Amino acid sequence: MRGLHPFTLLTVAAALPALAWIGPAPWGGAAALSAAGVLVLSLGGRQSFRVARAAVFTATPLWFFLYLLQGSGGMLATGLRLTTMIAGGVWLVAVLPPPRLIEAMIAREWPVSVAFLLAATLSAIPALRARAGHLVDAQRSRGLRTRGGPLIRLAALRALALPLVLSALHEVDERAMALETRGFDPQVRRTPLAPPPDSLAQRISRWGLVLSCVALLVWRIA
Amino acid sequence: MSAVVLDRVTFRYPASATAALVDISLVVNSGEIVALIGATGSGASTLLLVTAGLAPGGGVVGGELTGEVRRDGRAALLLPTPWTQVSGMAFTVWDEVAFGPANLGWPRERISESVDRSLTRVDVVHLRDRDPGTLSGGELQRVILAGVLAMEPAILLLDEPTAELDPAGAALVWRLIRELAQEGMAVVVATSDIDALPESVDRVVWLERGRVRTSGTTRQVLAGEDLWEPDAPGSTSIAGVWRRAGLPGPVPLTVPDLVSRAR
Amino acid sequence: MTPALWIDDVSFAYGDRPALEGVRFELAPGERAALLGHNGAGKSTLLRLVTGLVKPASGTVWVGDWDTRAKSPAELARRVGSLFQHADQQLFARTVRDDVAFGPRVTGVRAGDAAGRVERALAALDLEAVAGQHPYDLPPPLRKLAALAGALALEPALLVLDEPTAGLDRRARRLVTDALSARAEHGVALLVITHDLAFAAETLDRGLVLERGHLVLDAGLASVLVDAPRLGRLGLAPPPLARASTALGLPGLPVRERDVAAALVTRCSA
Repeated sequence: MRGLHPFTLLTVAAALPALAWIGPAPWGGAAALSAAGVLVLSLGGRQSFRVARAAVFTATPLWFFLYLLQGSGGMLATGLRLTTMIAGGVWLVAVLPPPRLIEAMIAREWPVSVAFLLAATLSAIPALRARAGHLVDAQRSRGLRTRGGPLIRLAALRALALPLVLSALHEVDERAMALETRGFDPQVRRTPLAPPPDSLAQRISRWGLVLSCVALLVWRIA
Repeated sequence: MSAVVLDRVTFRYPASATAALVDISLVVNSGEIVALIGATGSGASTLLLVTAGLAPGGGVVGGELTGEVRRDGRAALLLPTPWTQVSGMAFTVWDEVAFGPANLGWPRERISESVDRSLTRVDVVHLRDRDPGTLSGGELQRVILAGVLAMEPAILLLDEPTAELDPAGAALVWRLIRELAQEGMAVVVATSDIDALPESVDRVVWLERGRVRTSGTTRQVLAGEDLWEPDAPGSTSIAGVWRRAGLPGPVPLTVPDLVSRAR
Repeated sequence: MTPALWIDDVSFAYGDRPALEGVRFELAPGERAALLGHNGAGKSTLLRLVTGLVKPASGTVWVGDWDTRAKSPAELARRVGSLFQHADQQLFARTVRDDVAFGPRVTGVRAGDAAGRVERALAALDLEAVAGQHPYDLPPPLRKLAALAGALALEPALLVLDEPTAGLDRRARRLVTDALSARAEHGVALLVITHDLAFAAETLDRGLVLERGHLVLDAGLASVLVDAPRLGRLGLAPPPLARASTALGLPGLPVRERDVAAALVTRCSA
């Protein structure tokens, strides 16, 4: 699956939530989520489990809030759709490392600035995760309690979220400058180092998916 | 042959009342190593950005510049924090080092040669297939340095390159700087590692609040008494202990100097 | 007297990768130890054990009379002040003063008492002038000092610091040396990971060397700092004053500036 062209993977990940939202609730959502589930399972072994777990953890609080807001009917309809989005997103992150996507964009001569913006954002994520870990350690060692009831955790959030956001903003600034020091220039065409291989079959499939979504949309509106 | 000329440069960051650099004039020749010293906030980092052409610049920094900056050849800048400079677009160290040259649009052959050469130069060939995210701070700084060298600059600008490194890593960086200068590169390095200067650096410029306070050969500047003012960067440890002992005469800067004076 | 810190035959592993094996040492109140070793030798792991972030697989970490297994890191903060790497990124309050006050506040120090601790910590690191500013308006070195002030404000019996002088200029390094020395004189024990051996020479007096998870040396720091071969194996080198001492054969091989200066005066007037 990882051998597929990044644009194919991207299209699939985008088509799933599109189909979930466009399709009639709750069946559209259920079908799309099942498809997402199949994709996650096909990752195989431990990675499937990790991805599924991440998706479930992220989605569960949302289902809770939806129940409060919309009752069980609304919860089911919207919940399936949101979960599809989340599952699709987590699957994509697992199956498509940012460098491959960027290489694909550059090989196709998409605007370099778009590619770099995406690269800077995506590359910041693992750095932020690592930083979040260190931050929790540092704040706990200062006396911050993180285990306990919801009120305690809420109070802890400020000490954790705020520095993370502040330093993330600062970091984006520095990263942008660092990219410039590495020769980034929108005017110059970058040499692609390892353009991912594509095939006619994949291209057809991608366009096919997009057209299916459009067709479904037209059918629902009409 | 002068590689870098700054002529009466004044620079102000956007929305800032005070100028970060005031009336700076500096000439750096090929093969020369110039160190910028000064307390935190004295303007050394800004001076490097201006010299690299990044301030005012490609959209990130902005700001107002008066005076002239002339470069003869490409300038490359190394920032103090390695993990910020990682491109995030490379699976391996090799790709990371190739990132810069690829951005310059070079043909693949040329990139390949340059990358292999740089990896050997900086002694990170054994890391070439590693994921940059798994490297230690020191290893990463060397990889970024290799990436910068792979762009074949004529001018190398380094902002506190050894601040986050352990002594072994720092020694390697200084040795590399000396070798590169011998090959003709013009090097400007902002640093607080004063002890490393006598053996590595030809000239020292002391910046204070954006202005040049003193400038001269390493020996001239580091022997100065005024370096010991409360907010000044100080000189070498050996100079410090000589001064503390209240001993007279020309100040020794290094251990060998001290040994010959004290015998 | 109960030691401030007692590492009692402690072992720890990350998964199947051993990080520390059979480490044992004690720190008495007022003792100042440097923790030296290669990256990956186990230094950071030891700090995490002392702050309670991880618990030993075998053996016990005693902070005073507390077994770290029975305490959370937040509880241990009453006795252990810590400074990790990238401490400049942990600040979050609106002002430096508020951030420094965070530790005392959440560990339950009374308001009046806490205010005093905060001011003492700010004064020790010469941060009074910037105490009302937003932390992110300050350059990273000052943020690092602010983080250290936060640890000092806890007024703990033990301070554990990871590279406290990395990125600091001469003036700031001196402030750190003076602040730590002052605390040690009042009975605070220090455990400092550092490769800044010049700073270590001025501030600390005991050397603990970790190699691949084992404590291979526990000796007076001065003797370690003149041992070039041993330091070389750790990727370190004697700091300039220690090298000068050795080269000149100064009696007692002093490594501290004050002592080397005194020896030089004697040598040069002889």
